[in-house]
Amino acid sequence: MQISELPEIGTKYEIESPKGDKVAVIFLTTGEIELYVLESDAAKPTVTRLTTAEARRLGSVLTGALLTIEHEDVEVSFADISDLRIHIHVCPITKSVVGKSIEDLAIRKKTGVTVVAISRKGQSIVSPPPEMVFEEGDLIVAIGERAQIKACQQVILGPG
Amino acid sequence: MNFLLDLAIVMVSCLALGLASKYLKQASIPAYIIAGLLLGKSGLGLISSEASYDFISWLGKIGVILLMFYIGMEFNYKGIKEPRRLFAGCTDFVVNFSVGFLLGHVIGLNLVEAFILASAVYISSSAIVISSLIENKRLIYPEAETVVWLMVFEDIILAILLVILTSIMAGSLAMIPVSLAATLLLIVFILAFIRRLSNFIAPLFERDDEIPVLLIFALIFGFSALAYLMGILLHCHISEVIVAFFLGSALAGVKSFRKLLGTIISFKSLFLTIFFFSFGMMFEFQFATLNAADFVLALLALIVLSILGKFVSGAIIGKRLHGSLETGLRVGAYTTPRGEFSVVLIMIVMEIGVLELLPSIELLLALVVTYVIILSIVGSFFAKHGNRISKRMMVGFNKLMPRAHR
Repeated sequence: MQISELPEIGTKYEIESPKGDKVAVIFLTTGEIELYVLESDAAKPTVTRLTTAEARRLGSVLTGALLTIEHEDVEVSFADISDLRIHIHVCPITKSVVGKSIEDLAIRKKTGVTVVAISRKGQSIVSPPPEMVFEEGDLIVAIGERAQIKACQQVILGPG
Repeated sequence: MNFLLDLAIVMVSCLALGLASKYLKQASIPAYIIAGLLLGKSGLGLISSEASYDFISWLGKIGVILLMFYIGMEFNYKGIKEPRRLFAGCTDFVVNFSVGFLLGHVIGLNLVEAFILASAVYISSSAIVISSLIENKRLIYPEAETVVWLMVFEDIILAILLVILTSIMAGSLAMIPVSLAATLLLIVFILAFIRRLSNFIAPLFERDDEIPVLLIFALIFGFSALAYLMGILLHCHISEVIVAFFLGSALAGVKSFRKLLGTIISFKSLFLTIFFFSFGMMFEFQFATLNAADFVLALLALIVLSILGKFVSGAIIGKRLHGSLETGLRVGAYTTPRGEFSVVLIMIVMEIGVLELLPSIELLLALVVTYVIILSIVGSFFAKHGNRISKRMMVGFNKLMPRAHR
């Protein structure tokens, strides 16, 4: 990896593959990010401009943090712990649980799933306390194994 | 006095021609100068009064001060010290300054005038060069870095040239050292002043209200005024533009100052556009004093030789830094555009110029104006097609000297 400073433009990070293909990422001073790909025999590079959010998403794909994305189900794996797969699931709550708390529903005890966050009216509540009461329109973010998540969906939240 | 109408003319014409230049994928600097030429003294004469001319020129002057302030802010003292960058910068200066100086001498300018012409011809347009590197997707190539650092080196040369030029304009030979000393003293004072007060200033820049902007402009105009007053006191010139440059670089070291970068850039773009307009607007073609045929000949020679100059310096730099003549020719092509700095230089000379020192000022001015307009357009073309041009040149070279590049 080669890092070079380009005054008035930004910072360039460049990597060359053994075949001679080059990939460069340039953080422009404007805050945007340009991605260059130059194949060894190509006359012109291919360039795209990304926003910070897009770049971050692309970055997490490249680092292998996201393996499969099925609807709102994300499986996270770790480079150092190869046998660990954690499913992160996002689902809207159903009417049947509105007004009940995480403790009331005993989500952890019954299904093994942990609620790590609640998204309420566009704001996220990370690590909600067990006495937190669900409101209509909440999205819950839960982690667990695939089977546990399925159980949680069926037993606690009901079908749909 | 109502400036509203005149300001409307300035802004609307700049907007229209600026937009047109963007659609045509051209540099916008010549568009604004041409807007000024069309509507000002040498064109339709739409600006209503002398007072309006002065007013617009003054607004433009703020643009120049902000430009130099911004350049000082972005100036990277650490990076430029690298030997290969210094080599590239010096080569660029020696080759291209000499071209302008010699040609100025040949067409009958005196030493001071030739010096001014050489400065205007030497210095590339950072604005055009850098935006064309990004737009033409050249950033992945190693020569992009070389070109960008060349622009940084040219900035410091510009500062030095301005100090020398303003000192020469002090009038008498004896005043030159006084003017130089006063300028240096003021620069040292600014650097020390900002460093001393940085703990006091830094929290002011963090505020969310109007105070940070007021503070910046108070500092800029405060020190510019100080330079002006010192100049009057000592009967010499101290360039407020230089003051702005060093003030910018001093403030760059103050914590939280970078938050204001966006604000400074927007003020700079607005006033600098007015500056380009005012430059075109004030210009009067004095055909009577010029011999048209000689003028065109001199202009053509200047254009051809100065473009060649950049290719020669580029070739030397490419050979030395990248081990490739073709890469060097690309460096030459990318650095061909001239623009804002040439205009700034000539404008400052015009403002403070002592006429006894500049007998051929009309010729010089006409040359630089037409030169900058042509080279900003032709230069953008060269920068855009740098690859193809350098490839063609290599084919030509290899035909001429089949042995040289195996």
